[in-house]
Amino acid sequence: MKKIFVSLSVAFVLVFSVLAAGVLADSHTAKLRVLHASPDAPAVDVYVNGDLTLEDVPFKADSGYLDVPGGTHNVEVFAAGTEYAEGAAVLQADLTVEAGKAYTVAAANLLESLEFVVAEDSMEVTEGKTKIRVGHLSPDAPAVDVGVIGGDAVFSGAEFPGITDYAELDAGTYDLEIRLPDGTQVLPLEGTELAADTVYSIFAVNTADSLEVIALVDYEAAASPDGMPTTGLGTPEQNQINWLLVMAALGATVAGGGVLLRKRFQH
Amino acid sequence: MKSEALAENPINALKSDGIAPLKIIIPSIGVEAEVQHLGITDNGEMAVPSTIDEVSWFEPGYKPGANGRAVIAGHVDGIDSPAVFWDLSKLTAGDEIIVEGEDSQLLFKVYAMESVKLELADVESVFGYRSSPELVLITCSGAYDYGRGTREERLIVYAELIEQ
Repeated sequence: MKKIFVSLSVAFVLVFSVLAAGVLADSHTAKLRVLHASPDAPAVDVYVNGDLTLEDVPFKADSGYLDVPGGTHNVEVFAAGTEYAEGAAVLQADLTVEAGKAYTVAAANLLESLEFVVAEDSMEVTEGKTKIRVGHLSPDAPAVDVGVIGGDAVFSGAEFPGITDYAELDAGTYDLEIRLPDGTQVLPLEGTELAADTVYSIFAVNTADSLEVIALVDYEAAASPDGMPTTGLGTPEQNQINWLLVMAALGATVAGGGVLLRKRFQH
Repeated sequence: MKSEALAENPINALKSDGIAPLKIIIPSIGVEAEVQHLGITDNGEMAVPSTIDEVSWFEPGYKPGANGRAVIAGHVDGIDSPAVFWDLSKLTAGDEIIVEGEDSQLLFKVYAMESVKLELADVESVFGYRSSPELVLITCSGAYDYGRGTREERLIVYAELIEQ
């Protein structure tokens, strides 16, 4: 499997630009993930507010969730390796994200009609249940249903370019299929294990004659305490090392322009 | 390729199981400690060991190696002496943290640190979901607050899993 690297320098510079308490807190940032779903487009570079944020993203790859400040961001897509020039992007949009929420931004359709498909992602699920939704990102495929083989449709009439609402189901193993509304099977997904406390997005991508599925986890629930641990028993006189220096050093490293913080992602 | 999609159910390929941590090793500050599995105290806080040479993993949360933030806490000091995480503030970005399970080990690298006032700590975020595996270490920092019986701040170290 081909591995690619993503530069997270932009996100980190933004995060570290405010040296205040709680800078890494969710209350200040939104989660944003980018998905390359254009079957005939080359690998792309993604610029956020003019800064290279994702590098060499191939078809079917996703970035995982990046932390970005709430607000409106200028998102531009270029063919990988293209020199950045304002206004020259193959695809551009001003995306508004709200702190505390999560979003999927898919670059979809054929290259000549490239478009963003944006959806807000769920970060909650009823305890013990599973949640799933379907994105139809195959530009020339007809409307489809997704349902249990020989049984009911879970999603009906999903059309390009669209992402359905979530359906909450009992956790378990399902023999699913993508099918035409008349029942003709398009793609089997037998033995699909949908785990408890987990939220999924299933994207149908590529052209109709090569239809395939990208599965992503949007969220997995786990318990959280109400309070931080009490991790000191005594009252030593001596001060600890001034950790603010540590923060300053980290900030300087990032601001220094070296892309030290890289994230590897799978597709 | 259609044949590939058929051969492997892409939804089932998403599983990230993680490990139950038994030991944590932080070479750069000479830490090697047993990991207890603890939950929530009666007053709703993350529970910590009663000893100063062991640490605790927040068992009801995310597992190390699975997506999300697995949290391990340790004391900074005992009644009159330094404890297991005394030197945690000396970590810097890129330092390695090794978490051992029964028959596997995971390598994490520090990518950020912050010390926040207790009342400003975003607990939900510190213990929150991420789309990749992370490890969070917590200890006390700041001046001792006699009124509350604890230090005023928490030092939080964020590390990401390095694929091996």
